[in-house]
Amino acid sequence: MKAFIFKAAAFFCGLLATTMTFAQTTQTIKMAVPTALTGPVAQYGDMHRAGVRLAVEQVNEAGGILGKKIELVELDDACEPKQSPAVANKVVNDGIKFVLGHLCSGAFKPAAQIYNENDVLMVTSTATTDELSTYGYKLFFRTIGKDGQQGPAAGEYIVKKAKPKKLAIIHDKQTYGQGVATQVRKTVESLGMKPTIFEAINRGDTDYSAMITKMKQEGIDFVYYGGYHPELIVLLKQAKDLALNATWMGPEGAAVPDVKGESAEGLLVTLPPDFSKEPTNAKITEAFKAKNQDPSGAFMMTSYAAVQVLTDAIKGANSEDPFKVADYLHHNKFKTVLGEIEFTPQGDWSTARFDIFVWHKDATKTLAP
Amino acid sequence: MRGETGMHVVVKDAVIAALVTALLTIPLIGLRLNVESTGLVLRTEMFWPLTAILVVFFGRLILPFIRRPTLPVKIPTEKIIPKIAEYRKVWLGALLVFAVTLPFTPPGGSMLTGLTMAMIYMLLALGLNIVVGYAGLLDLGHAAFYAIGAYTYALLNQYYGLSFWQALPLAGIAAGFFGIVLGFPVLRLRGDYLAIVTLGFGEIVRLLLNNWDSLTGGPDGITNISKPTLFGWEITRRARGEGETLWQFLGVDFVNTYQLIALYFIGLLLVVVAVIVIDRLSKMPVGRAWEALREDEIACRSLGLSPTMIKLTAFSLGSMFAGFAGAFYAAYLGSVTPDSFAFIESAIILSIVVLGGMGSQRGVLLAALTLTLLPEFARDFAEYRMLIFGLVMVLMMIWRPQGLWPASRRRVELPTS
Amino acid sequence: MDFPQFLQQLINGLSLGAIYALIAIGYTMVYGIIGMINFAHGEIYMIGAYIGLITITAIGTMFGCPAWLLIVSALAMAILVTCCYGWAVERFAYRPLRGSPRLVPLISAIGMSIFLQNYIAVLQTTRDLSVPELITGHLFSFTMDGFNVSMSNSRALILIVTIALMATVTIYIRSTRMGRACRACSQDIRMAGLLGIDVNKVISFTFIVGAFLAAVGGVLIGLSINKINPFIGFVAGIKAFTAAVIGGIGSIPGAMLGGALLGLIETFASAFLPTEYKDIVAFSLLILILLIRPSGLLGRPEVEKV
Repeated sequence: MKAFIFKAAAFFCGLLATTMTFAQTTQTIKMAVPTALTGPVAQYGDMHRAGVRLAVEQVNEAGGILGKKIELVELDDACEPKQSPAVANKVVNDGIKFVLGHLCSGAFKPAAQIYNENDVLMVTSTATTDELSTYGYKLFFRTIGKDGQQGPAAGEYIVKKAKPKKLAIIHDKQTYGQGVATQVRKTVESLGMKPTIFEAINRGDTDYSAMITKMKQEGIDFVYYGGYHPELIVLLKQAKDLALNATWMGPEGAAVPDVKGESAEGLLVTLPPDFSKEPTNAKITEAFKAKNQDPSGAFMMTSYAAVQVLTDAIKGANSEDPFKVADYLHHNKFKTVLGEIEFTPQGDWSTARFDIFVWHKDATKTLAP
Repeated sequence: MRGETGMHVVVKDAVIAALVTALLTIPLIGLRLNVESTGLVLRTEMFWPLTAILVVFFGRLILPFIRRPTLPVKIPTEKIIPKIAEYRKVWLGALLVFAVTLPFTPPGGSMLTGLTMAMIYMLLALGLNIVVGYAGLLDLGHAAFYAIGAYTYALLNQYYGLSFWQALPLAGIAAGFFGIVLGFPVLRLRGDYLAIVTLGFGEIVRLLLNNWDSLTGGPDGITNISKPTLFGWEITRRARGEGETLWQFLGVDFVNTYQLIALYFIGLLLVVVAVIVIDRLSKMPVGRAWEALREDEIACRSLGLSPTMIKLTAFSLGSMFAGFAGAFYAAYLGSVTPDSFAFIESAIILSIVVLGGMGSQRGVLLAALTLTLLPEFARDFAEYRMLIFGLVMVLMMIWRPQGLWPASRRRVELPTS
Repeated sequence: MDFPQFLQQLINGLSLGAIYALIAIGYTMVYGIIGMINFAHGEIYMIGAYIGLITITAIGTMFGCPAWLLIVSALAMAILVTCCYGWAVERFAYRPLRGSPRLVPLISAIGMSIFLQNYIAVLQTTRDLSVPELITGHLFSFTMDGFNVSMSNSRALILIVTIALMATVTIYIRSTRMGRACRACSQDIRMAGLLGIDVNKVISFTFIVGAFLAAVGGVLIGLSINKINPFIGFVAGIKAFTAAVIGGIGSIPGAMLGGALLGLIETFASAFLPTEYKDIVAFSLLILILLIRPSGLLGRPEVEKV
């Protein structure tokens, strides 16, 4: 009886499989772009999409790859780990084999596991947390540095250049913010400086004056904030209102046009170098500007590069099989807008670098002295 | 009265209505804020507001002439539902066959994720139905027990490697235990104050999960939770350990849909068990006591029943089912985050219970299916999804305040002398 | 903690509590009269904040205006429109349900809350919108024992406006015809109706007053925090509701006391503990207060009747 039930089930499954597989013989290569179209950090999503879209447009204009056009499927996870597994399941169910994203580290973490289990290749150009490359995912790549590279850059700057008397490190407890804040702490501690305050705040709060008063009481003169801009804007504003005399510093998640005004003047940020200034990228910079987009946005070029490496690898491997493409990615060098890229066995960009910029009140930035 | 009013009153009425409509629509629908590279930009889109104003104005003008005099508001009375008790077994059997074959039909296959989520909400709402529907206690923190169940499985799986089926009873017990812990001190509160305490408890649980980083992983939660097994076989693409997957055993190539079908069946199984257990319970003395308590607490006490004990059993049993739902949710999604258990979840579960008809199991099941599949059907409207959801909730309450499929009350008529 | 730091935290806490209190009055008045938790009230506050920003953007882009005029017109416009929303929500979502079981309007309110939140999200995007910094500078800033104590003008404005509005509402309720009708309805709505009070009018009035205060709160918080999104109403609503319950739901002075208390609890909790635990402390105190005084600090105890 039991065997019969199983056979019946197998028969049904087979029936189902035949009805479901016909959709896969399409004339395009589908790539999913899971990003934040809504929610507080949608601004990063804009940059991410702009970079990916421009690159894909250009590839398609040049005839596509393997004789097929690329079709982008944009999906919204609002940067929430609550929503991303559903997005990932959708990607898998739709039979999409390549993912350009996710945008945020925290949302990427549960999704990456689903991709890994279902043989989907991922290239992120925005998620920086170290954790992602520690799970041994064979199909994971990133065209941006990781926090293990960003944190030390910030930490060294704090200890060697800024030399604060009392340092506070705060973070928003999410994968990304906490990850980078912990890296900074590790670096400054190894260089012999102990942060006076290491504390977490809750995402989405609007009143931090109690905490800022506490920092003032301790005589803090330098604050490193690990997290995204919505909370940082409020922190900066309230620190100014309460006359906390401190220099603020944040990771690349703090660098969006919304961070502006008197309170943002002098904010330090760690960012990938400004590739839009490279003479070799002049054409692409122009193309962004023609679309009324700012090419110096933190993730524009890295996202453009993600498409470049992925399409090059599909061409190079002459296959749409994620494993063959991954193999090609691991064993070759790629010429991109970020310069020549090579991946470590974990899928990280081996020679990534972060520069330190000073942010100004009109949301422009200059290289820090 | 209408007949006596002059034309100028009607016009005045219409002008006021049009003005209010203008205030309601022009600023929010007519003026749209937008972020552009230069900063905030205001776009004007006056078509809809103007249409609305005109419609309301002329509508109010002609309304008095077409409207019949308003009748006094009728308080909804219980409708007598035709007896289906005789055919009950046939009906239930047919329903079960339908539920089992559903995933193999093309429309069912495309909604598998929605259907599985519906199973989870059914479990949650069946649990809350005990508390709100049977015992009449207003609970706004049901998501807390859902969270406790989910994290119990997630943590046991992560730290001790317990499988879904081993952890499932523990998740239920843990949630039920917390139900008692919370219930003991607070159940002496009445009505809405009880609702508020449960709301507060729900928030505390969520915040603790959010803040206790070292154990719960903070806001990012726990990932990489094992999927349940089916008769001892794994249902993933590749087996985690040395075990064999169901698909290898059946000799079919893995397609992601299979896994969803398997999860759907596990969900269905849990729901069927829950329905049977709760149905039995409600016919036992304890179930009758819940309903008695809901109807009249003082009378209950006079008859020697202990309200605290009765409330506690309802509360802990309801929480236990939420715990089962939580464990299944964690297994289904493979990850849990504190945000998944925010207050809005409690609100939606409560809405399902009220929408279905309090104390009515079939109503609750129907409402859970409706409310979870509604956003699924509205997927084409993407951004309007939740908008429609909210509106439907309001309209359903106006249309059927007694619920979609209300329970028929048990009653004994006194003989008329 | 020394005195100057304590003073600073007191200022922080009170200005935070002021906003809670403004919203809490809306909850408490509605509850007092029709015994219903109006979950959509937080959304009304959020709509107020959006109308304020829309007005500021519209006027600001048309002609250069002094800041005070912008603020006044934003407040006026927000009050006008938000009151309409408050009235409309009651008219369409709650009035048809009058007389149904207790839970029915509650569910309708939850539905309305979801609807309004997404209504704004669809129309005005879900992003954080930045509100221009119109209020700058400090009301006072002095150094005491080597510690600088200050209060920014935006916070001072919140505190002053709140106190003024509360005084007005209290006097209004206490000494006008409408206020008397309100109090009569909250004592016994059926009896009040029998005695010739237009109950529908009183209920509409309650919703309009609630929306009025919430609109002011929304505009002021927008000007003080400088960013708004469609989700601010939900969080603020739950907090304000908590405040109303702590004070004793149904009691207007209770809402004020509860708001101030909740603001202070949160502020001092984050002064002494890691900031992330402040909400846990606040909700735990809520439960504790209800266990000791089951109808809140200033609430009327419910009488059990057979």
